[in-house]
Amino acid sequence: MQILSELYEPLRFLTIEVQKQLDAVNLFFETGEHKAAEISLKRVDYIDNIHVNLLNRASVYLTDNNDEETQITVQSYEHLNQSLKALSRQLQAIVFQAKHSSSALKLLRKKAVFKAIKDLQIGLELIEPAIESESSTLAIDICRLKVHIDKRCDQQLEKYKARLKKGQQTEALLNASFILRDISEMGEALLRIGEGIISANMGQMIQIDRYHSLEATLTALQLSPQQDALSIRAMGETKSGCTISGVMNAEESEGQMLAVFKEGDKAKLKEEKTGIESWHEIFPGIAPKVYSYHKNGNKAALLFEYLTGDTFETLLVEKDRKTLKAALNTLFNTLQKIWQETQSNEVHPAHYMRQLKKRLNDIYDVHPDFKLQTVRINGVKNQALEQLISAAEHIEETLSCPTAVYIHGDFNLDNIIYDPLENEINFIDLHRSEYLDFVQDLSVLMVSCYRLSNFDSQVRKLIAQMMQAIYQFGSDYAESIDDTSYHLRMALGLSRSFLSSTRFVLDKEHAKSMHFRGRYLIEQVIRLTDEERLTYRIPKEIFHD
Amino acid sequence: MAKKDKYFEHESLQDKDSITSYLKAITQGFKKGAIEFSDEDDDFILTPQKLANLKIKANQTKKGQTLNIKISWSSDQSTDFEESPLFIDPKKPKK
Repeated sequence: MQILSELYEPLRFLTIEVQKQLDAVNLFFETGEHKAAEISLKRVDYIDNIHVNLLNRASVYLTDNNDEETQITVQSYEHLNQSLKALSRQLQAIVFQAKHSSSALKLLRKKAVFKAIKDLQIGLELIEPAIESESSTLAIDICRLKVHIDKRCDQQLEKYKARLKKGQQTEALLNASFILRDISEMGEALLRIGEGIISANMGQMIQIDRYHSLEATLTALQLSPQQDALSIRAMGETKSGCTISGVMNAEESEGQMLAVFKEGDKAKLKEEKTGIESWHEIFPGIAPKVYSYHKNGNKAALLFEYLTGDTFETLLVEKDRKTLKAALNTLFNTLQKIWQETQSNEVHPAHYMRQLKKRLNDIYDVHPDFKLQTVRINGVKNQALEQLISAAEHIEETLSCPTAVYIHGDFNLDNIIYDPLENEINFIDLHRSEYLDFVQDLSVLMVSCYRLSNFDSQVRKLIAQMMQAIYQFGSDYAESIDDTSYHLRMALGLSRSFLSSTRFVLDKEHAKSMHFRGRYLIEQVIRLTDEERLTYRIPKEIFHD
Repeated sequence: MAKKDKYFEHESLQDKDSITSYLKAITQGFKKGAIEFSDEDDDFILTPQKLANLKIKANQTKKGQTLNIKISWSSDQSTDFEESPLFIDPKKPKK
């Protein structure tokens, strides 16, 4: 951040004074000596003086230099000034409380508490280098310390709570809890300090809700510099390692999401952007709007429309049967429209078994015990998976496949959003869209239901019903286009997904039941006679646990 | 869920012929979808489903040989769940 020596000088003194105050408090905690407490309290006057001095200098500086950039830098200095003062106030309050309750002080002499204080000390030490550094890395480190401090305080608070329930030493325990809360508050002050430094570096004031999205914040702000204040909320991470955050206007009412911000590997995000754009062209209204795309080295960031509604995963897990049913109906109508409108003249088989072969090593990496040899029991043979796949591949090649339609390509439960108010479906995560067999999307969707690691018996039943519904819908559609090999392709598609998605499932039993289902379907398809193939149906039992 | 967990165990010394007849009884029960277990106090019926997990273990040591066959399946007997399908094609007449 820009060094304004008139302001930086008092700020350094302020930091040093607060450090001294904190060290004295630490000593007081360690020894219980009131002398240390007094030393810490003596610093308060100095701190107040420097604080006021800095405030005055800041206002003078602003009258002399009134360009926008300087304003923000000065604001950052003021921000730091306030935060350090707040930290000092908390320290003072802690000492007052602890002085009057030596038993509380004893309770506070715990590893977690000293570690929290140590974190605060580290944070204060980092301020100078963070200000002097051109990058925001150190400032981000300062912000992250808050998380550590919170964790340590929470740990200790839990212990106090447990003891409070026993009813002994209640007064001391309560006092100690209050002091802990104050320590945790100081973590908040550290966060504000880091925020102030980052703001100065960025040239605009930011407010950080979640430490996770700091990096995202930086990029988001570069993308939309017209925003005065944005707040960022971490929403999660994708399997491909992109981070997703929600961007909202800090001024607006709570929870007003403006956009979704996704950051990660450039190639992945470029694919996603292309995917979204092609949907806008081919079937408008289903993909979110892209606001901006920004690349930097091998990283990229994509800012796009926030879609209201719930993912199908949420609908399933919340067991809201009525909404789920409505959502499925809308989804099926939408799919039918998409398939009708995007029907190409070419046939693009999905090659399920070929897809599966490519994934085998990834599966075995996670589940080495799935790699088995062919076994025989008194002549009854159970073939190795590789052989089953090869046999099924031959059959797959002979299957007729309807002309390709434009598919999502990664049709998981959490990539489909249903808005109940508009009764509308939207797709997200569109980096793998292409023209292909429609069964590809349906089979992926079905297994993404089964794959959920939610073992509530009602949810499991709903999952089975949902899989059955999707299977049925596909079957009806297949009939309408005279697609005679639907059921066999679906069996192979499901088998591919059951087997290959085990690499995301660490729960051994769950992974096993998916693996067995995948194998079973291939075995079934292989065993069928030519005649049986015409009437084959997937046993619905496979959708149940 | 069943009201109460049920349990049955039996162990005895048998000749080849009678072991085959036990296995046969189980096989037939499987085909039928019901295998009955009873003693003087209680009885209950296992209802094998269309799909079940089959685990076969065999081992051979100096002292002896063991064959373990484990067949398991889930059978949730709760009735408090809406069983009607989530999707019925409106354009298609019911068969």
